[in-house]
Order: sequence, then C-alpha cells, then structure tokens
Amino acid sequence: MTENPYISYDARILEVKDLTPREKLFTLRFIDPDVGEKFEFKPGQFVIVDIRGFGEFPISLCSSPTRRGYLQLCIRKVGRMTKFIHRMKEGEIVGIRGPYGNGFPMERMEGSNLILVAGGLGMAPLRSVLWYAIDSGKYEHIWLLYGTKAYEDILFRDEIIHLLKHGEAMNCSVKLAYEVESPSCIYLEKGFSDRVCRGVVTDLFRGEEFDVNNTYALICGPPVMYKFVIRELLDRKLSPGRIYMTLERRMRCGVGKCGHCIVGTSTSIKYVCKDGPVFTYWDALSTRGLI
Amino acid sequence: MRYIKLSSENFEKFFNSLKALGKVYGPVKKGNIYSFQEVQRAEEMSLDYNRTMLPPKKFFVMPRDTILRLKNGRWENGINDEPFVLFGVHSCDIHGLKILDKVYLEEPADPYYRVRRENAIVIGISCMPDEYCFCKSLGTDFAMDGFDLFLHELPDGWLVRVGSVRGHEIAWEHEELFDEVTEEDLANFRAFEERRAKSFKKELNKEGLADMLDLAYNSPVWKKYADICLACGNCNMVCPTCRCYEVCDKWLNAYEAVRERRYDSCFMESHGLVAGGHNFRPTRLDRFRHRYYCKSYFDPSAGFNCVGCGRCDEFCPAKIEHVKVLDEVRGSLQ
Ligand SMILES: Cc1cc2nc3c(=O)[nH]c(=O)nc-3n(C[C@H](O)[C@H](O)[C@H](O)COP(=O)(O)OP(=O)(O)OC[C@H]3O[C@@H](n4cnc5c(N)ncnc54)[C@H](O)[C@@H]3O)c2cc1C
Ligand code: SF4
Ligand code: SF4
Ligand code: FES
Repeated sequence: MTENPYISYDARILEVKDLTPREKLFTLRFIDPDVGEKFEFKPGQFVIVDIRGFGEFPISLCSSPTRRGYLQLCIRKVGRMTKFIHRMKEGEIVGIRGPYGNGFPMERMEGSNLILVAGGLGMAPLRSVLWYAIDSGKYEHIWLLYGTKAYEDILFRDEIIHLLKHGEAMNCSVKLAYEVESPSCIYLEKGFSDRVCRGVVTDLFRGEEFDVNNTYALICGPPVMYKFVIRELLDRKLSPGRIYMTLERRMRCGVGKCGHCIVGTSTSIKYVCKDGPVFTYWDALSTRGLI
Repeated sequence: MRYIKLSSENFEKFFNSLKALGKVYGPVKKGNIYSFQEVQRAEEMSLDYNRTMLPPKKFFVMPRDTILRLKNGRWENGINDEPFVLFGVHSCDIHGLKILDKVYLEEPADPYYRVRRENAIVIGISCMPDEYCFCKSLGTDFAMDGFDLFLHELPDGWLVRVGSVRGHEIAWEHEELFDEVTEEDLANFRAFEERRAKSFKKELNKEGLADMLDLAYNSPVWKKYADICLACGNCNMVCPTCRCYEVCDKWLNAYEAVRERRYDSCFMESHGLVAGGHNFRPTRLDRFRHRYYCKSYFDPSAGFNCVGCGRCDEFCPAKIEHVKVLDEVRGSLQ
C-alpha cells in the first residue's frame, strides 16, 4: 500500500500567538519541503490536525494561499484536543492532512464585489478570503462585516484596526459590531463612527447599498447567525446562488467515509466535508438541516 | 455469464479446494443466531440460514479496527492483507457490499477497505425469504455482479454462476468438479427462482419513496416511533449499508499508540455533537428520522441505501419494523 490518505504530514509550529483569551493563532510549516510545495489550498478549505496518540480535529485554514511558505490556524480552546494544542509551543510538531472540502469559488467571483459576513470564530475562514481578495486585487470592492461579542474577542484585532484605518486604499471597507460595551469599544466607535457600532452583525447592513448583480456574499458564523444574515441579503434581492456560507459539522475522516457530517433527507444528502463546507443558499433550500 | 454445475457429491471437494485460497468464512449457527465464522469443514456451515446478525461488512469495515500504529512518533499502517473466502453470501448482502464500495472506493479510496475487498473471494448462495425479507421490492434479491461464484440450489447440487475472472480461475483449476448445465438444471433453477419470488411476505412500496418521505418531514409518525425506540443503535450495527465510524487514539505503553476506528451509530447523542456542546440532531426524534432518511436516500447510480435484508427488524428490541414505519409515514401524508 503506497498512499494512505489518513496519515498526516509533519508540520512544525513556527509561532504561537494569543489572539484572545480563548483563541490562539498557530503558524505552521511542513517539515518536508516537497509536501509544503505540493500543498495548495483555496480559501474556505480546512485541514485535519493530528496530535498523534491523542486524536484529530478539523480546523479551517485562516491564512491566504497568496502567502506561501506557511499555514495559519486559528484555534479556539473548547475541549480536550483544542486544550492540548493550546499547550503546545513553538518548535513542536503536529500532523496535518488535507486540505479538504470545496472552498469558496474565488475564480468565479473575480471582478465582483464581496461581502464577507463573519460572526465570532467565523472570522477565521473568512480571513483567508479577505487576504486572498486583497492580495490578488481581482475583486471590485470588499466589505467585511464582523460581529463580535466584546473588544477582547475581536480576532486579528491589529489587522482589523489596520483595515479600519487604511482599508479603503485596498478597496476594502470594514465594519464592526460588538455586543458588550467597554472603553476600548467606545474609543473605536469614536474614531470610526460610521463603521463601528454596538449591536449584532445584521445591524451593519444598515445604510449599505450594493449592486446585487455584481456582488457575492460569503457568510461564516455560529449556527443561529445564518438565518438572520440571509434574510438581510434576500431582502436586498441578492440571488440565493450568490450567497455562500461555510458550515460546521462533527467530522472524523474529512473525506466522505465516516458518515458524521451527513445532512439532508432522502431527496438530497450532502457530506459537509466533501460537498462543502461551503454551500450556496440554493443548497440550503434543497437540503434540509443544512442551516 | 458462464453457468456450470456443481453436483452434491463434489460439493465437499469444492469447499476443501477453497481453503488453499485463504481462510474460509461461512454462515455458522450459534444458539439462534447465525454469524460468519471461520470454518474448516463444509458441514460446520448452515447454508440454509436466513441472515447473519452482522452482515459481511464486518470483514471490510470492522467493528473495531486498528488502522494506524504509532512507532517513534510516526504512523505506520496496521493493515492485514491476507486473502480470504466469504462463503455463502446472500444476494442482498452482495448488494450491501456494492453500496459500501460506492462510499469507500470513491477517491480518496479507503486503503483498508480496498485491500480487504481486493483480497476477498465472494461466493454467493441462493436463499428463501423469511417474514423479514423485502429485498425483492428493492431489486436486490438477485445479484448480477459483485461475486466471484454464485451457487443456486438444485435438487441434486448447485447451478454455479461465474461472476468474475477470479471465479473463472477457480472453476478452471478445478474443472474436474464441474459439469455442463443441462436443460433440466435450468428448469429447476427457474422453478426455484419462481417459488422464491412468490415467497416474499413483506413488500416495500418504493414508489416515489424519497420524495414522499421528504414531504412527510413533520409527520407525527416519526414521533410515534421515536418514542418507542430505545436508541440502542442495534439497527445501525446490523445494517449491511450503515458504516459510520468513530476514531480514537489509545496508548499501548509509554512509546506506542494505536488509532482505532469503531462502529458509530447515528442514534447516539454524540453523533452530531460539535464543539461547545452544540448538537445538530439534539432529540431522539431528529436521530430516528435521520436514519430513515439516510436509508431511503436514492442514489441514481447505486439505488437506495437499504437492501431489504430485514436485519433491523429482526434485531430491534422495540420491534420497530422498517417497512411499517415507511408505510405509516406514507399513510400520514394523505
Ligand atoms: C470544517 C470545520 C472547520 C473548523 N474550523 C475551526 C477553526 O478554524 N477554528 C476552531 O477553533 N475550530 C474550528 N472548528 C471546530 C473544531 O473542529 C472543534 O472545536 C474541535 O474539534 C473541538 O475539539 P475538542 O476535542 O477540543 O472539543 P470537545 O468538545 O472536547 O470535543 C469532543 C469530541 O468531539 C469532537 N468534535 C467536537 N467538535 C467537532 C467538530 N466540529 N468536528 C469534528 N469533531 C468535533 C472532538 O474531536 C472530540 O473528540 C472547525 C470545525 C469544522 C467541522
Ligand atoms: S435498513 Fe434494515 S432492511 Fe435495510 S439494509 Fe439496513 S438492516 Fe437491512
Ligand atoms: S434497533 Fe430499534 S430500538 Fe434500537 S435504535 Fe434501532 S429502531 Fe431504535
Ligand atoms: S467527515 Fe467523515 S464523512 Fe464527512
């Protein structure tokens, strides 16, 4: 037997950075340069992180394929495995297999506007889209609408503030909604009164006009968010085929074997790991239980 | 297809010749239950069995399967690639394997499944339906492929259909055991098949089944049965097409660990549980209904995910009947 798709490749942790009290950013590089060279991915794809002898878990790639030579994963500490990796240090080795899933159709969307709608940890996969779109310069205008709980929870805070200040020069408008008030938020709101507000992510749609024939929306966030965001988009007459969302399910294999990520009914069954995790709203309309 | 005849008196010699190909597993009776076990002699088998508790999937997707071994921080394959013979597989179970093939051989192929499939010699055998069987409704009562040899019972032996190159080789190497098929044999074969077709007591109405079920998503029948269901997951374990698995790592000692796969069931609460305790199928109703949707999904190239073997009915402690549930759900639509 030559190829075993379940065997992960060694990757070294180059850097571990605290993003928030719960999330860390891991920067990794494959030890074997050939593996690194062959590893190509699209924004929206994920990998399976393998802590050998302890277990595996799926994590979205949050770096952009335009920035080669390393991978970044933003990992929230929620349970056994994620607690384990949070204790790991620079120089240590983990296994990585993938990339898996379909990713966002970046080529199809070239020349259009992109509205990225992120809720909480949903920022992680959308950061990959964000930097891909900015770096490639192939998109008309990029909106990032980001809803977060509190100032301390803003993922990639430096980057977000940088884009609030200088985004327009990169064709990118960032808007931020927070739920819990704090001095830092009020300070941000003062500085960017038209773009930072207290509220939820859907509040950020207020006052925004966009050309529905030339715009795609890309959504990622907690399960409850999808319905509300999609309603905003449909109210503005965006076609369901232009609404992409990336979903989460329990995953074991990542390649359509273990059955955990199956959703749908007798007329339409989808594997989130290989048919997704990116789906259009058409898919959600024809596959019950997707959102 | 090539048809040859194996006479009753040559049966044992034929069986013994198979042992040269690898371990032979056949249906064996233990108490009231049949199961595929390694057999040395033909008479150990109960060839007139109705169904084994675990289907032949247990040889390909194992209940517990050590897939990787950690040695010096690296994974090594834990794969066993010895050839083996599965003797006496019913047609529905052959169809069950074909459905598993769709999943496990699709790229990227599961290497464990593939190797085992390549190493397996499948010898089918004809059967008579009992009160649980409804394979005829699903068109899985006759296997056109997916086996090496298929034995159909005749009054004085077996009519053998040769279904693969390996089947041809086996027949070739033991040419002396086989005869030409006569007109009488064919008449007997036809008579058996007709008698069998008439013996089915259970029938599934699959007319528009997938759409019908989808429309009946909110039918009260789901809840009625979900309330009776014990959520034991037996129906998943015994189903020839259920193949969800969990993965866990285990340390053997301070230096060596293994990664193990084991059967999982969509009736378990953990099946759809993700980080932070969010569950995509939180209630028993959600999970009960999910199984029926998964089994009744129709793939244009592979058919339904159910082959009508009747195991889920026979081994359900709550006596829930698959066909009855589907019929009632259909009834609730009108
Ligand atoms: C496509 C995809 C992309 C993801 N991207 C990210 C990301 O970028 N950042 C991030 O922090 N998290 C992400 N997640 C969630 C992440 O996989 C879970 O947080 C992680 O598996 C939890 O593991 P645990 O052992 O720490 O948690 P526990 O709650 O202790 O988990 C218990 C068990 O359930 C399993 N489990 C829990 N949630 C999931 C899940 N969603 N999928 C598979 N198994 C699960 C764990 O492996 C573990 O064995 C993603 C999930 C998916 C499906
Ligand atoms: S659902 Fe029941 S009858 Fe159908 S294949 Fe599975 S065990 Fe057999
Ligand atoms: S075997 Fe019967 S009781 Fe057990 S989970 Fe299946 S339907 Fe429910
Ligand atoms: S994660 Fe195993 S089938 Fe999708």
